[in-house]
Amino acid sequence: MVIVKRKELSLRERLYLPEVVRALSFTFRALFKRKITRQYPEEGLPVTEVTRGQPRLTLLEDGENLACVSCGLCEAACPAYAITIDGQETDRFIEREPERFEIDMLRCILCGFCEEACPKDAIFMSDELELADFTREALIYDIDKLKRPKAALQKRIDYFYKVNDRWRKPSSTS
Amino acid sequence: MATRTFEFTPGPNIDALKDDPVHGELMHLNLGPQHPATHGVLRLSVDLDGETMHNVVPDVGYLHRGKEKTCESLGWAKFFPHTDRLDYVQPLMNNIGYALALEKLAGLEVPQRGQEIRVLLMELSRIAAHLIYLGTTAIDLGAVTMFFNTFKEREKVYTILDAYTGHRMNNTYVRIGGVFADVDDTLEGMMREFLEQFRAEIDSFESLLTGNRIWHDRNRGVGTVSRSDALAWALSGPNLRGSGEPYDLRKAQPYSGYEDYAFEVPVGTVGDCYDRYLIRVEEMRQSVTIALQALDRLHKSRGGEILIEDRRYVLPPKHKVHTSMEELIFQFKIVTDMCLPRGEAYHGIESSKGELGFFVASDGTRTPLRCHIRAPGLYNVQAIPLLAEGRLFSDMVAIIGSLDFVMGEVDR
Repeated sequence: MVIVKRKELSLRERLYLPEVVRALSFTFRALFKRKITRQYPEEGLPVTEVTRGQPRLTLLEDGENLACVSCGLCEAACPAYAITIDGQETDRFIEREPERFEIDMLRCILCGFCEEACPKDAIFMSDELELADFTREALIYDIDKLKRPKAALQKRIDYFYKVNDRWRKPSSTS
Repeated sequence: MATRTFEFTPGPNIDALKDDPVHGELMHLNLGPQHPATHGVLRLSVDLDGETMHNVVPDVGYLHRGKEKTCESLGWAKFFPHTDRLDYVQPLMNNIGYALALEKLAGLEVPQRGQEIRVLLMELSRIAAHLIYLGTTAIDLGAVTMFFNTFKEREKVYTILDAYTGHRMNNTYVRIGGVFADVDDTLEGMMREFLEQFRAEIDSFESLLTGNRIWHDRNRGVGTVSRSDALAWALSGPNLRGSGEPYDLRKAQPYSGYEDYAFEVPVGTVGDCYDRYLIRVEEMRQSVTIALQALDRLHKSRGGEILIEDRRYVLPPKHKVHTSMEELIFQFKIVTDMCLPRGEAYHGIESSKGELGFFVASDGTRTPLRCHIRAPGLYNVQAIPLLAEGRLFSDMVAIIGSLDFVMGEVDR
């Protein structure tokens, strides 16, 4: 426990004017310091692989089909109810694929729970942050707007696996 | 104990004033809910006699989003992003408070390194929250320079959190049983660099305010609350300590290993706005000390576990999910159907505003039976009449600022 000291004003501080000069010198010194303001639209935001931007769907190496098997786990994990999935059967080996996969970007809170829940590496948080349009309908993203080649998300995937590795030792299972 | 009535009835002196030609009728004034000095959407109904305030009634609820009920329908883990939005100036603190309540209910023990990271995050959040207090209160009282300088420093905290969690605000990086990611060397360096230079910044903030005559005139002797009143009105945090009660949950009921850290609890003597300001400034210094200690510990405990290995509550690692059927089943189980055992638990943490507590009751299903959030801000707001009645109207801004509440948390 430490009792905070209440400062009584000195004569100089009571006179006030010298203090105004001192405070102004504090303010004017800021003119010559490095500027910290970012000129946003011209100067972009620094994005790294840690940045959790909007979720995107990964394509398989063939560049056509989604990695998603429409298991619905991201839908179940989403705390904002932003994801809607309708599955359908397919002749491919994985047997199921999404017929409809929509993320309502107006609802999405970029928490990253979908990325964590996905058992197929099909959804990842991209570094895309900017989101603006003229209608609400345009911001409900469907597969065409969501799919990205795996290479575009590779940095994030690598980071996610790195975190996962450090996260727990791969040795023991309970 | 104080013998104050808890009813907001006009005293006999006000009735007498009505026929007095000098005083005339009381003027009813609404301060807020859109007034910038009310720090959010707080409405205060004030009866004014000239400039003197009578019958101050705070009206809360304009930001009510039903968070407690949302928790009851969403489920255990999915509520984490919602806790961010309670007291949105310190999201990680809320995350940790909720996680600690769930861990108490489930009987989990967070690994050592996970606790150290949590302490570090809590102290950084506390610094960011106190910087907001300092900046906004100072700009409300006319010191515009302070606002820019504190927000410059807060930006550095947010840059660190951005580099760690990927978001500047609403981080959602705490999980049941630990934290999501580890703090690596780069982050350690960033945090250390910030904390080292931050001490000098606190001194420069103090050199602008502590001996400032206007700051003295506006804060000293304003909004005085005695120790017994503060206890009776359930104030907590800096508002309680300002009145001289050395009650800090980090000392009184240590959690996350706070008992192993060396720090002091600052205590005031008078209980006015000035004391509360001094305490928050001193708390920032203590936070720097704690954070540096936590960084030293993190340096030693490198490679340690940050999340418990428990297949009831914690998701298995991704590479195992791809290869093991068992782990895939656990992945599905935990995401869709995570249940906490029957029972109830309450855990309070010392947030920057006071005792932030989460009460969770479980009937063994995947949603809580009840989740109650003990928000310190609500108790701070209800004490406004105690502090403000009988004082001049211009003191209201200083009182609101010094009580330091965030309406997102008050209204939930």
